[in-house]
Amino acid sequence: MRTGVIQESYGELISLFRNPTQTYWTVALVIVSLAAPMVLSNHVTSLVNGMMIVAVGVVGLNLLTGTTGLISFGQAGFLAVGAYTAAILSADYNMPLWLCLPAGGLVAAGFGFLVGIPSLRLKGLYLAITTLAFTIIITHIILSAESITHGSSGISAPKPAIFGITLATDKSFYYLILVVLTLAILGSANIKRSRIGRAFLAIREQDIAARAMGVPVARYKLYAFVVSSFYAGVAGALMAYQIRFVNVDSFSLIISIEAVSMIIVGGLGSTAGAVIGVFFVLGLAEILNLVFSSMGGPMGSMSVLELKGFIYGLTIVLFLRFEPDGLMGIYREFKNRWVNWPFRY
Amino acid sequence: MDYFILLSVSGIAIGVIYGLIGMGYALIFKATSVVNFAQGEVMMLISYMAFSIASSWTLPFWGLLVVCVVMSGVVGLVIERVFIRPMLGQEVFSTVMVTIGLAVMIRAVVVMIWGADPLLLPTDIGDSGIEFGIVFLYTSQLYAIGLLAFCVFSMWAFLRFSRMGVAMRATASRETTALLMGINVTHVYSIAWAIAAVIAGISGVLLGTIYGLGPDMWSQGLRAFPAVILGGLDSVFGAAIAGIFIGLLENLSEGYIGRGLKEISGFIVILVVLMIRPYGLFGTPEIERV
Repeated sequence: MRTGVIQESYGELISLFRNPTQTYWTVALVIVSLAAPMVLSNHVTSLVNGMMIVAVGVVGLNLLTGTTGLISFGQAGFLAVGAYTAAILSADYNMPLWLCLPAGGLVAAGFGFLVGIPSLRLKGLYLAITTLAFTIIITHIILSAESITHGSSGISAPKPAIFGITLATDKSFYYLILVVLTLAILGSANIKRSRIGRAFLAIREQDIAARAMGVPVARYKLYAFVVSSFYAGVAGALMAYQIRFVNVDSFSLIISIEAVSMIIVGGLGSTAGAVIGVFFVLGLAEILNLVFSSMGGPMGSMSVLELKGFIYGLTIVLFLRFEPDGLMGIYREFKNRWVNWPFRY
Repeated sequence: MDYFILLSVSGIAIGVIYGLIGMGYALIFKATSVVNFAQGEVMMLISYMAFSIASSWTLPFWGLLVVCVVMSGVVGLVIERVFIRPMLGQEVFSTVMVTIGLAVMIRAVVVMIWGADPLLLPTDIGDSGIEFGIVFLYTSQLYAIGLLAFCVFSMWAFLRFSRMGVAMRATASRETTALLMGINVTHVYSIAWAIAAVIAGISGVLLGTIYGLGPDMWSQGLRAFPAVILGGLDSVFGAAIAGIFIGLLENLSEGYIGRGLKEISGFIVILVVLMIRPYGLFGTPEIERV
């Protein structure tokens, strides 16, 4: 009987893959995700594209909220900054995509730095509300700076193209997003197993104790803000290319709240959990959409929207009530049962 | 000068509503250290319920208010029992997310039951009002100011003199010690939620009378955030005062500086204030021990 994974050296403890099984499954996942667009229909591919883009941003939020313990409701603001940067650069200045994506991330990271500074002194809910204030202010700035952002009329982004190849179809765009998402996950996993990640964890547990242990708390909190807003900015830029139209209304506060609920559903602090959470929450919304539209008839489109909102809120509440560790918690418990069966532990 | 007075008076009129909503936030935070993100939604729910009552029975304004106070107390107790009580012992953040989930649910339920069209709360004080020189105030706005004063005073008296109020302050100060002193802390929590819901109900009835009902009414709860942050999350009176201040500030900045500032001036102010005083103007700093 397998009794568990035994790590014998420090190198093993922080390695990216704990054991061969994990490596095989990862390879299998890569193959499946490479082959997916060949099987899926165009509509489903575009849905998956949307989910993967959200996943990029949510993996970033997980670094900030899950790993460092800084609650942020400002993700929608960073997303908006990234999307607008990419859209403005590509539509008004004809910049290529490979420049616009990192540019969106970098500008958002700059804003993340700005938001990070006042939040160094703040904790918990005061911080959450400050980041919420940021979202509201940034939306207003975008609306009023009409000469740059075209105000309320929004911007149309061009078709995504990279190194001369047009990624016009959803299937070709899929591969670009897949690359970005892979980089995002690798980045997050690597940050978490490095010195920086351990500092983040120390700050999450108790920041005064972390300071006493010699962790420069202010610097690492700023790191967390900058990195997570970079992720959100890149996600926003991708979103601009996918929807091909950027408008302030798509970045309302509810986006930030959805992002936080996704990491809770997935399991706080786990990169895999963040990705799974995104697919679970958005997948649930799509399935509900299918169910209600197939029922059709007496229910107007309005009440379908409301019912979805209701079930969505209920999902958050039920997860927090019955499974605070999220889907990753369920997975861990299942794994333990599986390994130890027929014993309890 | 006239312009200034007009702006200030209408600013105070809306600020009073912020103050009331803010008091609800502050009371729950003080007792349970949870920010109830559903406060605006509870307000919306109560004012829609008030709409149903007012359109089926003809009640005078005060009668409606009393019915709503009772009703919202019950709503607060139910919310606490069903959603918040099971979260006892969990992290604060989880409970806050539960209130956010609850907020999303209430928004959906309200639109499912009452529809998305704007409605007007039919009351007998309707369009009547009083003129003070150049300023015209609706009766409902005057009532709002009076009710805020009443709520502030009765909250002060409640926290200062009543047994439950003292128990609440003890719980706010340190939950474990309060438990050891024989205070029924869960009971204190449910009372805090009930009172906060009552305050939300009062502000809902007022808001419905003054500005009408709509599916985006909950956003007033969001707009009241600067008030409660400025006052300090755990200061009930700070929230009431800061609410009036934020209302004034919104109107004056919109009137003198530029359009659209109304929505964000409050949030800009709290960013600045929090940099100088991380616990708001009247909040108690939390001293951490490791």
